[in-house]
Amino acid sequence: MSYVELKDIRVSYDNKTDILKDLNLSIEKGELVSLLGPSGCGKTTTLRVIAGLIQPNDGEFLVDRHNLTKVPVHKREFGMVFQSYALFPHLTIKENVAFGLKLRKEKKSVIDQKVKDILAITGLEELGDRYPKQLSGGQRQRVALARALVIEPKLLLLDEPLSNLDAKLRIAMRIEIKRIQSQLGITSVFVTHDQEECFSISDKVAVMNKGVIEQFDTPEEIYKNPKTEFVARFIGFENFFDLTLIEKGKYKAVDGTIFLSTRQWEEEKKTGTIRPDDIEIVSEAGDANTVSGTIKVRTFLGKSYQYEVETSIGTLLVNEVDDVIYQVGDTITLSIPSHKLIIV
Amino acid sequence: MRKNIGLKSFAWLVFAFLLIPLLIIVITSFGTNSTIQFPIKGFTFNWYGKVFQNESFMDSFVLSLEVAFIGTLAALIIGVPAAYSLARHKVFGRNWIKSFFLSPTIVPGLVVGYAVYQFVVIQFQFPILQGLMLGHFLICLPYVIRVVGSTIEQLDFSIEEVSWTLGCTKLQTFFKIVIPNITSGIFASFMLAFINSFNNIPVSQFLSGPGVTMLPTSLMNYIEYNYDPSVSALSVVLMLGTIVLMFIIEKTLGLASIS
Amino acid sequence: MTQRRLPYIILAPGMILLILFLVLPLISIIFPTFFDGGFTFANYISFFKDEYNLGIFWRTLRVSLIATLVCVLLGVPTAYYISQSPKKWRGLLMSITLFPLLTNSVVRSFAWITILGQGGIINTALMNFGIISKPLTLLYTEFSIIIGSVYLFLPLMVITLVGILENIDSEMMEAAETLGANRFIAFMKVILPLSVPGIIVGSILVFTGSMTAYTTPQLLGGNRNIMLATFLYQNATALGNWKGASVIALIMIAATVIVMKLFDWVAKRMDKRGEASA
Repeated sequence: MSYVELKDIRVSYDNKTDILKDLNLSIEKGELVSLLGPSGCGKTTTLRVIAGLIQPNDGEFLVDRHNLTKVPVHKREFGMVFQSYALFPHLTIKENVAFGLKLRKEKKSVIDQKVKDILAITGLEELGDRYPKQLSGGQRQRVALARALVIEPKLLLLDEPLSNLDAKLRIAMRIEIKRIQSQLGITSVFVTHDQEECFSISDKVAVMNKGVIEQFDTPEEIYKNPKTEFVARFIGFENFFDLTLIEKGKYKAVDGTIFLSTRQWEEEKKTGTIRPDDIEIVSEAGDANTVSGTIKVRTFLGKSYQYEVETSIGTLLVNEVDDVIYQVGDTITLSIPSHKLIIV
Repeated sequence: MRKNIGLKSFAWLVFAFLLIPLLIIVITSFGTNSTIQFPIKGFTFNWYGKVFQNESFMDSFVLSLEVAFIGTLAALIIGVPAAYSLARHKVFGRNWIKSFFLSPTIVPGLVVGYAVYQFVVIQFQFPILQGLMLGHFLICLPYVIRVVGSTIEQLDFSIEEVSWTLGCTKLQTFFKIVIPNITSGIFASFMLAFINSFNNIPVSQFLSGPGVTMLPTSLMNYIEYNYDPSVSALSVVLMLGTIVLMFIIEKTLGLASIS
Repeated sequence: MTQRRLPYIILAPGMILLILFLVLPLISIIFPTFFDGGFTFANYISFFKDEYNLGIFWRTLRVSLIATLVCVLLGVPTAYYISQSPKKWRGLLMSITLFPLLTNSVVRSFAWITILGQGGIINTALMNFGIISKPLTLLYTEFSIIIGSVYLFLPLMVITLVGILENIDSEMMEAAETLGANRFIAFMKVILPLSVPGIIVGSILVFTGSMTAYTTPQLLGGNRNIMLATFLYQNATALGNWKGASVIALIMIAATVIVMKLFDWVAKRMDKRGEASA
């Protein structure tokens, strides 16, 4: 049994439509797990169920073999970092951080020491006596993190903590969060809609859609082997075309072209997908895995050009570095390598 | 999903505290006894008939409507351009002038009425009715300045600039562009000022005389010597008026805009 | 030139009317209270030396203070409940609160006469149940003025507070709870301190309102429980003491302004956090 277990969690506000549909998730001790998905997929709801801010209609939630489903928020001892940071504006940084410790009736000397330590870890030593209004976005973020961590939570919950920061700070802070999280070895759940952020920080990722987890895997596995069309689309596979199965690893497209795939496959799946980066432009058509088409649109992307190519199996997007520049109207042949072709 | 029974029951006790006294008035207005009783015995609409036959109630009702209407209208005519000017023009001592326009709210209503009565009616021999309208104009003005002022401040200034570039004079722009876009603020301030003027007692207390008595004052005088259900009946009529006004406000602006 | 003069031309009518019909009248009633042959504070000194007057002055402050406190106690949780209720309910709850506020104050005071009077609902009920044998004196007491004032001004307090509480990030409460505070403690330690500006604005409205209200003490106070406003009216009409009335008028204005400044000062002190060097 894993450290954190969500079993058949169902959440519905009106008992007609489910926000979460019998959701199951297991998290090992010390792992940082991300919930990834578009807005409305249920990732924040899942986090709030874990936090105890939402009571599930059905299902159980366990941490360390203890059933916490009915335990109120304030007794769960989880640290949570909110999207808005939710710093208390009437308290100084120190007082904000000490808030949870004071409620635990710890001795003043202990509180002072713990606050001092966590402010050092999060790089906030100098700012203890300021008020939240006086801090920058990145500093507030650190305070929110320090406040959640200082109570030595069994679980750290982060609800899109980086979404209010600018791009540069976001990258710096996610490295920071990862550093602190692994330094303290604290089991964490991280909610985000940004796949790059999610892949860089997580041990495991749960991709969610419409209240269910579509795939739960390591970032590498999800990047390389998306299991469903939704996951593939969400992580940047932009070309999709229908296939019919001939035999194991061998498919036929709508125009009769044969496609081979050396990737994992399941009987019922019959859509081929590939990233624009992975399609190659070749000079000659082969026996299989090649298709010809006409360039409709050319877009300059900086390091490469993107071509929108109309082919007999559908429109394909191809990214190609600018060694040779093709013109709109040119007919080119595309190769879809069998080791890059995913079947979902 | 997460409910708090304690808080909920506390709040509903407060709502009960706010509503039950008014509900009791409604019930007592139907009693047959000649003094107010609760619970009531019998059921009659007679007291409502009595209210509508009572000439002093009816006269003061008409007067109250007139005074509140004229006071509010005057406050709008004077106040809307002033609010615009305070919001848009570079005026020397703007904050000071604004607080001066809002100053009638600082002076207690009874004192406003008393001062106007002493100075305007006694010293300068104005008719009481004119003093009364002046007093009500004074208490209406701050509502217009505040509500219309904040509406204008929220209005995008560039639509006025566009109007100028298209050839409108400033005066034309004010009537063709500004006024149509602040009608909700004007209407809200009209409603607020009208209701407050209509309900106001302290300002009118000194400014009343033979034939010049506002409805609330008239009702208050009646209560001092009578304790019959016609008071309840008149109260119910006034409450119905309030409900109608609230309904109109809710349908046009939303109640949130005046609170 | 005309461009620069325009705003003053627009503002002039209102200012002239205010000067003519508010400022000058006020000066004309207050000025004579300082002159008795020469400049003097005698009228004010003698007002505050008189036990009877002092009694009225303190009663007015006492009643207003208690009414304000009760409004805060009743208003804060109620406003919080409204601000936390779903959007579709909030409109209804606000209407329940607004309705008494928009109802005539005579009607609202009258309701309490029927409840608190000798033959009123409370006394009738208590006697019917045999709890008391003769009616309690509830009406025409300070108690009845306080109830009347609370009834009059509680909606103002609630509406002011709802505006403030709606703007407090709901994650603030949740953050406190995840840190180990139960709802009551989270409310007391986070929501309450953050609603202080609203409490202060509401308190100014309730306090100055109760202090200068005329209808409530007139209808619910009776002759033995006179407040400043009713005292002013009594001086001016029944006693024909115009100078006395004017003295009370200035005291009421001064008390209103002082209370407002005092509350504002408290509000500024409490709200200085984070502003100083930000």
